[in-house]
Amino acid sequence: MKPNDLVQGTLSLLILRILSLEPMHGWALSQRLKQMSKDVLQVGPGSLYPALHKLEQEGWVTAEWLTSETKRRVKFYSLTKEGRRQLNAQTADWKRLSGAISAIVIPARG
Amino acid sequence: MPLEKSELLQGTLDMLILKIVALGPVHGYGISHRIRQISKDVLQVQQGSLYPALHRLERRGWLEATWGQSENGREAKFYKLSAKGRRQLATEESNWQRLAGAITLIMQTAE
Amino acid sequence: MRWLKFFFRKSAIEKELNSEIRFHLDSVTQEKIDAGLPPEEARRLTMLEFGGAEQVKEECRYAHRLAFVETTLANLKAAVRFMRKSPGFSIAIILTLALGIGANSAVFSAIDAILLRPLPYPNAGELVVLHQYNRASKDSSRPIAPVRLEEWNKYNSAFQAIAGSYTQDLSETSGTVPERLAEADVTPRFLQVLGVAPELGRDFTPAEERFGGPSAVLISDRFWRRRFHADANVLGKRIRIESSSVPIVGVLPASFQFPDKDIDLWWPVPMDAPIAQNRAYTWFTGIGRMKPGITLAQARADLDTVQARLGRQFPQTDKDLAARIQSLKETIVAGSRRSLWILFGSVTLLLLIACTNIAALLLSRITERAHEISIRYSLGAGRGSIIGQFLTEALVLALAGSVVGLAVAAAGVRVFHSLAKALPRVEEITLDWRLALYTLCCAILATALCGLVPALIASRRSISSTLASHGRTQVSARASLQWTLVGVQVALAVTLLVGAGLLLRSFQELGRVSPGFDPNHVLTLRISGNYGETNDQKKMFQRMKNTVGALATVPGVESAAISATVPGAGSGFPIEIKAAGSAVSPSRKITADEKVVYGAYFETMRIPLLAGNTCKKDTLWTTAVVNRSFAETYFPNQTAIGHHLQITSFDAKPEIVGVVGDARENGLNHPAVPTFYWCSSNADPSPYFLLRVRGDPMKLANALRREIHRIEPSRSVFEMMPLSERLSESNAENRFRTLLLALFALTAISLAAIGLYGTLSYLVARRNREIGLRMALGALPSQIRARFLAQGAGVALLGCVAGLVIAAALSRLLAGMLYEVSRLDPLTYIAVATGVLVLAAAAAALPAGRAAHLDPMQILRHE
Repeated sequence: MKPNDLVQGTLSLLILRILSLEPMHGWALSQRLKQMSKDVLQVGPGSLYPALHKLEQEGWVTAEWLTSETKRRVKFYSLTKEGRRQLNAQTADWKRLSGAISAIVIPARG
Repeated sequence: MPLEKSELLQGTLDMLILKIVALGPVHGYGISHRIRQISKDVLQVQQGSLYPALHRLERRGWLEATWGQSENGREAKFYKLSAKGRRQLATEESNWQRLAGAITLIMQTAE
Repeated sequence: MRWLKFFFRKSAIEKELNSEIRFHLDSVTQEKIDAGLPPEEARRLTMLEFGGAEQVKEECRYAHRLAFVETTLANLKAAVRFMRKSPGFSIAIILTLALGIGANSAVFSAIDAILLRPLPYPNAGELVVLHQYNRASKDSSRPIAPVRLEEWNKYNSAFQAIAGSYTQDLSETSGTVPERLAEADVTPRFLQVLGVAPELGRDFTPAEERFGGPSAVLISDRFWRRRFHADANVLGKRIRIESSSVPIVGVLPASFQFPDKDIDLWWPVPMDAPIAQNRAYTWFTGIGRMKPGITLAQARADLDTVQARLGRQFPQTDKDLAARIQSLKETIVAGSRRSLWILFGSVTLLLLIACTNIAALLLSRITERAHEISIRYSLGAGRGSIIGQFLTEALVLALAGSVVGLAVAAAGVRVFHSLAKALPRVEEITLDWRLALYTLCCAILATALCGLVPALIASRRSISSTLASHGRTQVSARASLQWTLVGVQVALAVTLLVGAGLLLRSFQELGRVSPGFDPNHVLTLRISGNYGETNDQKKMFQRMKNTVGALATVPGVESAAISATVPGAGSGFPIEIKAAGSAVSPSRKITADEKVVYGAYFETMRIPLLAGNTCKKDTLWTTAVVNRSFAETYFPNQTAIGHHLQITSFDAKPEIVGVVGDARENGLNHPAVPTFYWCSSNADPSPYFLLRVRGDPMKLANALRREIHRIEPSRSVFEMMPLSERLSESNAENRFRTLLLALFALTAISLAAIGLYGTLSYLVARRNREIGLRMALGALPSQIRARFLAQGAGVALLGCVAGLVIAAALSRLLAGMLYEVSRLDPLTYIAVATGVLVLAAAAAALPAGRAAHLDPMQILRHE
């Protein structure tokens, strides 16, 4: 498995999850991801922004142009209601699949 | 019966294949069956991706193939793990634990 | 390297894939049947679920195919990236390879064209050159008498046909000024033997080949273009040879250059002419075509039989005669064979040196790439793929080098063309696909040489991981291999240097030799004449006498003479002589070199007269002069003067009238032999005129031309040049060869010095830490310097010794070209060894000095 494949595949889930904590712009999102995973998960702008746009198209995320503290215009993303529903569904999926994979890969003791 | 769809996490197919093969020599059909069996049908491998993956792993030297007799007496292509493959499996497993652990962490953290 | 298997087992893989997928589908179908579905339904659903089986199989095939292409592409991309990262490094390597490969290709093309390819005639292997020679008197080969040549042609059974030719210079007088033309006089069957047809017009008719028949000539393509501007209507036009007007009946192709490349026209000799019946005449150099399948030995045996019969039929003239046969190709290329192979050996040596240098340079980069290699291993790459990557890098460099090398080769081919005088068949050297193929092979060889060793070493798993994790460690294991490479380079360079040194010493010795005559301030020239004139010996003698006399009166000319050969550049012509009378015991055979001179020859050439007189001016073939060696060898206790000599193969008994000093008539590198000078002007209708002048010889050129035109208006003057220039031309090939070898040797030693410098620098850099420690523990800078110097000098010494030994063994090859210098000449060997060691010390001194100046504090602080 290439390390990035897994992250790519669960990217929409991770984005929805982090946006569920609070709305933020793209750069902050990638920083938060890095920090919360203790540097294990890192996503570059090349993958992040296409993913955000796709989520926006699906209607799970909406974007707003705000002026930040430094007087610059920045695009803030936040979760929609539909997005929240998706988050729940995908979280359940994740638990199920990752649990099953771990069961195979890390056999239970006893 | 419903059409099989891919029920697997992206990028984990190789690792699962290697793990199943590590348990003992097995043919392609046997691998997909075993995965379904062990995961109690949670994980389903799309057959269209299984065989290309097997051939890819064989090309990279992680699997070795021999022809032998299957349970029903027919000739089948059996795969087994090579020494290189064993090393690769270890790498992939540790990667999986690290990444899956990190993702889980994010899913569970309140803030 | 799984892709290898893929190539060889393609169809097997296909069969296996089919059966593997079929097994899966059958199993899933069975599963459904076991669950209760009817068989056709189970089958249909299975196929539906699986999706496109063909597509899956295609993807599997793709997985295998991709491996090979993917690997190669990835390797190529990586190789190009590696090259661009260090452009200076890469360019240096590419240029070095270009030089090595290009030079090699150029020389190969010469060897291919000159030595390997058959002559440009159909079935050229059947062509042989024929001469006659006298078995009893052991004369050298002579041209064949016309009537005898016809008999050989008629009575043999080993040849398809035998013909002959001789050349002479004539004046073509239809223009305002007579133009000298080179003519070949040929027997019937000439074109037939060579297998060539005129490109325009026709061969001679039997009528034209008969005595008294209509005249006709064939002209060369060159003459046709020059004089007639390639006019298609040239047939039937007439040219004026001497005083007769002859029509042109054909034009021979540009590629036809027999008997040599300067021939302008071919004239048929009537073999039934009365004068051609004299069995003692020596006119024709024979050219014959053997029957298919006949060997040289068989042809010789056959002609021996024929000539033996003739010997019985005509005992007086033919009893002791025999035929001498040589393959045509041999006579043309034999002289250059040795030089060319030596040249080839040198360029190959140079290429090898360049390759070892490059291998060392590539090796020195290993430490920098250890990290990259260990990552590749951790990603699951096999050792084979890493070796493959390194080889691809070397291949890319080699291919780039050989592309540029083709340009070098083209230049080299042009250099060869300019050497047309020194080498035969140079016009046949071309750049063609054979050369390109050879260049490619050189590139592949270079890849293997340069890339294999570094690839094998770099890909050693243990080394890469050690280096990657520790960064800097002792690399003595690899260093020993690099030192071996340096040692090999030094050895090869020393070998070339010794070779060049021996040749140079040879030149030096030659320069010190006294030729026995003074070639300075002597002008040589020739005046056109033809063999027909030799029928009237008296008239010819008169003409020569007048010409010499007239030339001597031109202001600025001190003395004038005639000679059949060029003094200092003659070819030896040994003949057997008997001394008439009992003066010399009859059992003593006299062999001497024969020369024919007239006029003030010895005065003009400043050959001292030791006794008696020089040639008398008014007699022909009756007097002779011998040199000191002759007199001392054959008349040791008495004077030679007054004795009559009987020339075995000629009906004359000249009297010895004088003894002169020894002169190296046949070249500086041929010591004087007993020589005997006929006093005669009639050996050749167009001999060499030698004029001693005051001051610069060429200043009198115009005055001489005017004088000659005054007394001989229908003859042309040609080949006018100072004697010294003629002599240096004959040395040209020798000089060129020596220069080339010297050039190679210098390049080789430069490469070796650079290799030494590079290896030592790298070593110093790698052992920074160790040096710092040593110095901190009290070692003196001078000690550090000495240690590194010793290491470099030690390797150089070993390489030097090895090189000297190889040189001594190979010097055998030069034996024939050395003059007065032993092939084991101690002066040369010692000089080379000293020079190389000094250079090596200098090359090592720089990095050693750098090591000594390291600041231990700085180094250790970085730990």
